[in-house]
Amino acid sequence: MPLISQEIANQVKDYFADLTGRVRLIMFTQEFECEFCAETRQLVEEIARLSDKVEAEVYNFVTDREKANELGVDKIPAIAVIGAQDYGVRFYGIPAGYEFSSLIQAIRTVSAGRPELLSPEGVQRLARIGSPVHIQVFVTPTCPYCPQAVVLAHQMAVASPMVRADMVEATEFPHLAIKYQVMGVPRTVINEKTHIEGAAPESLVLAKLEEALAGSRA
Amino acid sequence: MLELHLTAPERESPASGPEAGETGLYDLIVLGGGPAGLTAAIYAGRARLKTLVLTGYLPGGQPANTDVVENFPAFPDGVAGPELARLFLQQARRFGARLETDEAVRVDFSTRPFAIHTHKATYQGRTVIVATGVVPRRLGVPGEDRFFGRGVSSCATCDGFFYRDRDVVVVGGGDSALAEGIFLTRFARQVTIVHRRDELRATKIYQERAFANPKIRFLLSTVVEEILGDQTVNGVRVRNVKTGESRIVETDGVFIYVGMEPRTELFVGQLELNEQGYVVSDRRQRTNVPGVFVAGDVQDPLYRQIVVAAGSGAIAAMEAEKFLGEYPDVSNQPGSKAL
Repeated sequence: MPLISQEIANQVKDYFADLTGRVRLIMFTQEFECEFCAETRQLVEEIARLSDKVEAEVYNFVTDREKANELGVDKIPAIAVIGAQDYGVRFYGIPAGYEFSSLIQAIRTVSAGRPELLSPEGVQRLARIGSPVHIQVFVTPTCPYCPQAVVLAHQMAVASPMVRADMVEATEFPHLAIKYQVMGVPRTVINEKTHIEGAAPESLVLAKLEEALAGSRA
Repeated sequence: MLELHLTAPERESPASGPEAGETGLYDLIVLGGGPAGLTAAIYAGRARLKTLVLTGYLPGGQPANTDVVENFPAFPDGVAGPELARLFLQQARRFGARLETDEAVRVDFSTRPFAIHTHKATYQGRTVIVATGVVPRRLGVPGEDRFFGRGVSSCATCDGFFYRDRDVVVVGGGDSALAEGIFLTRFARQVTIVHRRDELRATKIYQERAFANPKIRFLLSTVVEEILGDQTVNGVRVRNVKTGESRIVETDGVFIYVGMEPRTELFVGQLELNEQGYVVSDRRQRTNVPGVFVAGDVQDPLYRQIVVAAGSGAIAAMEAEKFLGEYPDVSNQPGSKAL
């Protein structure tokens, strides 16, 4: 039985109609699939069938360790959205519920190879970043505000080679929810220590990101 | 069954509008992407008005943040809020409106065309429909800001999961407080609904369900005076307004549903607002500025229903179309100043 209804599939096809660059959805699961691994794999495979520009590749997190290391994948289910290059766009946990929107948007952005939703000023500020930035956006699938935070983080990853950005579905990684004190979503964690509660506009996230980098240099 | 919500409104392509940072002239700019704004977009699209909708960060509006909607007509079995939001967005897009998740940060209704500055760009509109809706009211007590996201929440559907087998307090006595309180019993061990009056304001059907739920208890005639905690919330200090007695209720989380307030701070000094901050309009959804119309909860302190918001959105769009027919040249619009 398909996970994507015919109606939603048609809408996704419409979103994918003007894709230009090829996109690979590199998905990691394992032989005895984790709770949402099987569904995540099926979701990725169904999405790939909706455009000839999108391909699904499924790897085994245990036996394909090298591939996982190469992409920095440290937990499953995981999806790396790769375009003309690896922009550092990742999804950990199933992108279902509202996060389905984030995945569709990520595919569009990675296909275009440019952060089309950022302001020109934001793109310039991100181009000036000289040290690595890791953004983790904690979400739940039932959070309507969360895609805003995830999409913004992924746009920033596409804008700067120094930035990588993960969606982390908190209910599937409760140990990370505890580690990062997630009690409300979206919660954005920048370089392990800077936090943003809620969906924030681009300007605020950029300011926090620059603050995190200034703090680490001091 | 896996639920998939497709609410991403962006469908930008070079052909569909200006690149970020550029300006674009629209017949109609709708501020807000809830039932009022999206209904306006459906009508405007069918009238072939060049329409931009700035949805803000909750595309689909409040239904997107609602578990189930049972009172929107023609859905006899109810409809999931996110699904209703998706359908609104899809229908608005179908007739050609451009939808952006961006939001206005400054508006100028003294120039013609009207100028709308967003986080990313500046747009010009020959007419504007204000449908910015309402935002949750804060309690305004110590601890509320400090613990926001760390035990204080205004989104049960987002954050309910983090309170599995824990105790939560829900503040409020209206429909949202009871509906979300009932929703939270899926996760929480106990839900305590704290309400300042001795009677609930919520629709009777919600009251019946809440009273019948063994996980819900009520503290009526009681106000929350402080939210307490260390790293995260561990209690609230409450006071009985009849006896004056104050005590501490232990809890792991506080969900605040004490009503809404209109999102009108952008319009202060430009649109006539009433003493509660709602936009004032006539029955044709006209504001004091010719060419600027208003729809939905931002002008409705009384009903705040999806069906009512949608109705006012339709009226506003039909009035905007009529206005554009009467004043095809923006420089001749009433109220316009020579630039």
